[in-house]
Amino acid sequence: MSMFDGPKPLNTAKSDQASTDMESSGLTQGSSAAAPRPNRKFGAWSDRWREMPRQKQWLVLIPIVIVAFLLPVVNPPFITTEPGNDWPLACQLMAIYALVAVGLNIVIGYAGLLDLGYIAFFAVGSYTAAMLTSPDSAFIKIPYLWTLPVAIAVSMFVGVLLGLPTLRLRGDYLAIVTLGFGEIVRILATIIPAMKGQPGFQNVGHPPGVGADGIPIFANSNGTPWYWLTLVILIIILFLVGNMERSRVGRAWIAIREDEDAAETMGVPTFKYKVWAFALGAGVGGLAGALMGGQVGFVNNQKFDVVTSILFVAAVVLGGSGNKVGAILGGALVAYIPLRFTAIAEYKFLIFGLALVFIMIYRSQGLLPAKQRLLAYGTKAYAAVRKENSARVRKNGDPGAPGGTAGSGLPPAAPEPNAEGATS
Amino acid sequence: MSLLELEDVSVHYGRIQAIHNMSFTVEEGEIVSLIGANGAGKTTTMKTISGLLNPSTGTIKFMGEDITKMKAHIRVVQGISQAPEGRGIFPAMTVLENLDMGTYGRKDRSGVGEDLERVFTLFPRLKEREKQFGGTMSGGEQQMLAIGRALMSRPKLLLLDEPSMGLAPQFIRQIFKIITEINGQGTTVLLVEQNANQALARANRGFVLETGEITHSGTGKELLANPAIKEAYLGVG
Ligand SMILES: Nc1ncnc2c1ncn2[C@@H]1O[C@H](COP(=O)(O)OP(=O)(O)O)[C@@H](O)[C@H]1O
Ligand SMILES: [Mg+2]
Repeated sequence: MSMFDGPKPLNTAKSDQASTDMESSGLTQGSSAAAPRPNRKFGAWSDRWREMPRQKQWLVLIPIVIVAFLLPVVNPPFITTEPGNDWPLACQLMAIYALVAVGLNIVIGYAGLLDLGYIAFFAVGSYTAAMLTSPDSAFIKIPYLWTLPVAIAVSMFVGVLLGLPTLRLRGDYLAIVTLGFGEIVRILATIIPAMKGQPGFQNVGHPPGVGADGIPIFANSNGTPWYWLTLVILIIILFLVGNMERSRVGRAWIAIREDEDAAETMGVPTFKYKVWAFALGAGVGGLAGALMGGQVGFVNNQKFDVVTSILFVAAVVLGGSGNKVGAILGGALVAYIPLRFTAIAEYKFLIFGLALVFIMIYRSQGLLPAKQRLLAYGTKAYAAVRKENSARVRKNGDPGAPGGTAGSGLPPAAPEPNAEGATS
Repeated sequence: MSLLELEDVSVHYGRIQAIHNMSFTVEEGEIVSLIGANGAGKTTTMKTISGLLNPSTGTIKFMGEDITKMKAHIRVVQGISQAPEGRGIFPAMTVLENLDMGTYGRKDRSGVGEDLERVFTLFPRLKEREKQFGGTMSGGEQQMLAIGRALMSRPKLLLLDEPSMGLAPQFIRQIFKIITEINGQGTTVLLVEQNANQALARANRGFVLETGEITHSGTGKELLANPAIKEAYLGVG
């Protein structure tokens, strides 16, 4: 096929093999700089992962999960944040940030909506847990664990409420508006008497259970059980998000992120899916907030600032926007580094700022680049075509020309004499 | 009954009026070309038909049904498919994934394999590059992908916004040949072009758009022969 042959590096690569093995053939070294390229090392790794059968994936996953669960108990040297900071509590904070990043990744990474005010939903979740359990609150009280689903529902509702009027905006405009979300919640918490401003809520509830020594298992200072609870929740959320990612909804989000107008003209109800992304992200953020509120045991209006919100975004971008494993890594790192290196903790924003600049320059895809897996349906369709074709070949020895007239425009073997000067 | 009917359609961007009381029809089976200079309102017209823009006045009918208020993503299901200006493909998706997105609004999954084969027959290059990322393809390849993707919804009306933009002359000829072929397979085509020569030669009928108003209309041949159009759009005189 000579048509449109440009000065491309590999226009001779005809075989399936060449196109399958993109990493090694350099096919992706083409023209557009804007288009993300799969990273060699991680790309190959994630390709291998996706080709593994389910059982084999479990074999790899289970040890990782076991190590994750043992993390606060093992207290590994060098890695530990002690003596400066309690290690199990550090693990808990890492898990919370990982959860936040996984939730925010739905909004930023999948749907491409730059939400700079994600802290608002985190705050809503914290306040929900606090106001339904703390003795300082005038509301009805429910057991702490019940506040988790309530926090999800309330944050999702707030997500829809904030999303409906703002998601008509795009790009920078949306980002600027979302910047206000966190402030809205903070100011409401200050001026609404029931939210108790700076005094806030003490003795926020926690899951039941008392240890042998008479101290609650989920005491504020006891990081390990909190970490395990958060980790279990994180795994459940990951499982749900993973399924969503591979569904029609996931494909719609990616399409919206890539080109909203094009997505709309492909039949994607873009506004609806943007609101969904916003609401689901908000739900996860609220859940993380409720866990944080319970563990810390104290919620007031001083904790939810814009800077922390930006830190959440940094976690997503650092890890690799659009990749949920990357989000976990980014979230955990953003929480870990200031706790581990206490000497530089004061400069954490400077350091994360610099890290982000470097990442954007040298690795704009983040530590673990996104690799969409949208083919579930397309591959099936294509496999069907292949089968049909090869059946036809076997029957009459003619691989092409299915309908006679079709294909007449471009006889496969007729090279245009003048193929140079193509656009690229 | 016309396949597509615009009646007195005006479109505004804020206070700026881009389209002034435009009326025209597209009949089933036709290729209709809309030609005009930069900024004449061609893209605005296309986006209004596909539903990305809302007209401030006037009505749009598709197969006799008033679709003026219908959302873009529903118009696809009804049979209007657009290959947007500047291609508008999904750069981080592979060729196959892009084509798959074209089937998003489809209800009948059974015909997808057949349509994929049809697209690959029209554009063998896409088949060769099926696993390449859309954003790494050349301009011409992206154009093929945009048209192929638009065909995957099996549209009754295909909207093509400057398919020849930025392409070298010999590829422009090829693209127009393929457009004719698509039309021959039963798809009605509304084509927007600055490249008036080819667009009019291939069209059953054509319109000339100047600052948001239709100033000439006729069969492709008539317009090609019109001295005023020759001078303004065909680089003669
Ligand atoms: N988003 C927009 N906001 C304001 N004005 C616009 C916008 N898009 C197009 N226009 C204006 O509308 C007119 C028609 O534009 P367009 O339809 O893109 O022209 P064409 O496709 O024929 O080159 C131009 O004057 C252009 O400046
Ligand atoms: Mg245009």
